[in-house]
Amino acid sequence: MSSLRVTSPFKLGLWLLLAPLCLWLVLLIILPHLELLVFSFTEPEDGSFTFGFYQEFFLEPLYWRTFVRTAVMSIMATILTLLIAFPVAFYIAKMLKGRSKGIVFAMCLIPFWVSELVRTFGWMILLRESGVISNFLQWSGMSAGPVELLYTDATIMLGLVYTSMLFMVVPLVSTLDSLDDSYIEAGYDLGGTNWNVLREIVIPHAVPGIVSGCIIVFMLSLGNYLTPVLLGGKDSLWFTEQIYTQFITRFNWEQGSAFGLLLLLLSSLIVWAGLKLSGQSFAKTMG
Amino acid sequence: MIPSIKQSSGFNTIYKSYMIAFFIFLAAPLMVVAVFSFNDSQFPSFPWQGFTTDWFFSAEGEKIGIFFDSELLDSIWLSIGIAIVTTLLSISVACTNAFLFERFDFPGKSFLYMLMLLPLVIPGVLLGVSILVFSSEIANYLEDYWFIDLESLRPGLTLVIIGQFAFITTICTLIISARLKKFDRSLEEAALNLGASPLMAVFTVTVPFLKPAIVGAAIVSFLMSFENFNTTFMLVGSDAPLTVAMFERLREGSTPVLNAISLLLMLGSGVLAIINITMSKKSS
Amino acid sequence: MSNETTIDLACENISKHFSDFTAVDNISFTIPKGSFFSILGPSGCGKTTLLRMLAGFEQPSSGDILIKQKSMVDVPPNKRPVNMVFQHLALFPTMNVEENIGYGLRRQSVPKNEIVERVAAVLDRVGLAGSGTKRVEQLSGGQRQRIALARCLVLNPTLLLLDEPLGALDLKLREQMKIELKLLQKEFGTTFVYITHDQSEALVMSDQIAVMNKGKFEQVGTPHELYYQPATAFVAGFVGDSNRWQGNIESADSATVLVSTSDGLSFKAKIMGDEAMSAGNRVEIFVRPEAISVNRTAPSTATDNQLVCQVETILFDGAKSQIIAVEEESGGKITVTLPQTSDFANLQQGDTLYLNWSTEQTLCFIDSSRGA
Repeated sequence: MSSLRVTSPFKLGLWLLLAPLCLWLVLLIILPHLELLVFSFTEPEDGSFTFGFYQEFFLEPLYWRTFVRTAVMSIMATILTLLIAFPVAFYIAKMLKGRSKGIVFAMCLIPFWVSELVRTFGWMILLRESGVISNFLQWSGMSAGPVELLYTDATIMLGLVYTSMLFMVVPLVSTLDSLDDSYIEAGYDLGGTNWNVLREIVIPHAVPGIVSGCIIVFMLSLGNYLTPVLLGGKDSLWFTEQIYTQFITRFNWEQGSAFGLLLLLLSSLIVWAGLKLSGQSFAKTMG
Repeated sequence: MIPSIKQSSGFNTIYKSYMIAFFIFLAAPLMVVAVFSFNDSQFPSFPWQGFTTDWFFSAEGEKIGIFFDSELLDSIWLSIGIAIVTTLLSISVACTNAFLFERFDFPGKSFLYMLMLLPLVIPGVLLGVSILVFSSEIANYLEDYWFIDLESLRPGLTLVIIGQFAFITTICTLIISARLKKFDRSLEEAALNLGASPLMAVFTVTVPFLKPAIVGAAIVSFLMSFENFNTTFMLVGSDAPLTVAMFERLREGSTPVLNAISLLLMLGSGVLAIINITMSKKSS
Repeated sequence: MSNETTIDLACENISKHFSDFTAVDNISFTIPKGSFFSILGPSGCGKTTLLRMLAGFEQPSSGDILIKQKSMVDVPPNKRPVNMVFQHLALFPTMNVEENIGYGLRRQSVPKNEIVERVAAVLDRVGLAGSGTKRVEQLSGGQRQRIALARCLVLNPTLLLLDEPLGALDLKLREQMKIELKLLQKEFGTTFVYITHDQSEALVMSDQIAVMNKGKFEQVGTPHELYYQPATAFVAGFVGDSNRWQGNIESADSATVLVSTSDGLSFKAKIMGDEAMSAGNRVEIFVRPEAISVNRTAPSTATDNQLVCQVETILFDGAKSQIIAVEEESGGKITVTLPQTSDFANLQQGDTLYLNWSTEQTLCFIDSSRGA
């Protein structure tokens, strides 16, 4: 009897707390995506089942090429971000101490509190034909006329790397922070070179941070819309743009749903593969 | 590679230069945005036509300053309103989620936790369109079968708030859960022991302990909502929040008024960032 | 029973089972008003579970807890006249000292001005007058102890539970807090139930000690009783230091036995415990190092037990220094207290010692570890 008194308010509390979570997840995440799934297999005329929208994707080269291009460029952007961010994170986590560490880390974080739109706008001012860099090249004599640096794949890549830098630096700094200096010292003490120590001590320890950083950066790049559209211009050919076009411009929701689900499928596959290869779990990596 | 291991001075110089280059890379786009907001020209680019604050304070003429550009001002207020509502909603649900995941054990908990993390990996555009499709379906159904026209289920403010809430809640939950994890349960027991009812113990001891995390999550949530573009863009109706309004202007070709508003945004988010960083340092 | 009103706490056959494990096994005891009662036992013996049942954080699987003759089993923790000092004190980090101490009074809706008065009064009594507005982090370990006590005592509880509160302190401070706790208990007159694994804490402070092992009380008694008349081998081994041997009974009479130990020594010992003993039984023998008299020359009078040994090692620890000695023939070892007299100032390894002690101080228990 006495145990009842304890468990019944406990049970009630559990249901009260479960309710908002389930409402949120079911109404805003699960059902909308199921709806997309149903849409993508439905013929709008008579409501019958069809594979047509997926067929359309594979038959129209523009669609699947954009899809592949988006995936490849996102992977490249992820690798590039990792390569640039790792030395920075290492410097912050291991070379700096105390106050200067806090300040440098904060300097790294603060730019990313500013809207992505503002950051992209900054790159446009720097890179466009009448922009800062073009003017500098002309003034210094390295170029005879104005140079257009916008609207190329390299520009998109630059924008993607810049935009997601923070999401790589933060997890890397926190895992490298947790690596005790004495392991590195022991590595050198036992005769390791810089490269040995990096490869056999530092990087294995940083794997969880590398994985979570890569997953987030990849997802952000894949789902990015602003950067490719603004920096890549008309020919940016980013898959989210295709989704937008189908939904908002052409009002072809069925086709758009099929595209959306393909994008989701691709991202889940790559994230899953990344986790499998590195032996990490999703909940641990994200939480 | 660490200070206790001496490296050649060449290595150190290269490493330091790399760090400096990295910070120039980080700061450059923001600097030019700030600088060109003071350019006395119709375009935020060279040539430099002289210093002016017209893009902030000019009320008429060719240059309309940000404080007199009613369209942008309206969109700022709209964004602030959206951000406040989204933050309140997200924080309340995040608090209940944090207690649920930290305090209760129930079948399917780890599955629900996975689902809870899902919004982090769904591209914002997709989250937007899925909610758009779903709500339109409900609206159509209500209209066709019940003859109710629910305007709030059509693209517009309500949907923007719902869409942002859908993923910001996850982030707030993670922030608040992390703090709750550090809470020593014996503090609550001590409160019970001193005569507090269970609910009273939570409100007098646990909630004050969570306060820094709640404030931090609220700041993050406010900014994420204010600056969100991807999800918002899919769900807007006729009233454009700031990011959408800026995007439209950017495509039309921009005047330095956009630099001016960007500078204000930078100052605003910079202040919030510093508050948040110092607060999270204090609480840890 | 004329003294019923003076019993603050009575536990009647309480047990606590977790799924496949019995933490508390059918324990009954009473604690008289105003006494300092300790529960002493190794970690994992169930003492924390017992304390948490008294506080109401665990429900007993069976049995009853009576505080002032009222059953507490169905009373939630916040309604019990019991307060607790937690192991890590559990001072609220979001509140200052005053707010911490006033917390319980606020829950009872005591008027504001009365709270201020009572908080100030209790702070004064624990010797921290004027530190009400300090933050918890600003206090030293000892001050925090006193605030945690004050936070409970301001509510005038019938019973104050203390869950190894001195565990986190360093040695010096712990010694000092032991005395301080004892004095505060006397001054407030509150009944204390103190759990600890540190026998010295229990011996110094308590009026009564219960030695707990594997969910049961082995013995309840005064510190003196536990030390000199342990009821079981566990108590003899757990309370205080002892030389401990295992052996077989050679011969037995009604009160004493002759035992030969596994390392070849032979002693006359006193029969302890309630089990009968006869020749051939496996037994354990306990002799306290300080009960052995140590001489550098052979004593003229014969005693019950005597050994001639060589010094093997001297463990120097000031007044608590000990000698480990070896008997030549058998190689058996024995620990004795190093006398602090000038005779022993130049004692060296290999020196001969003559040890002797009485049967009375040689306690013999049936060896339960390997079965009789």
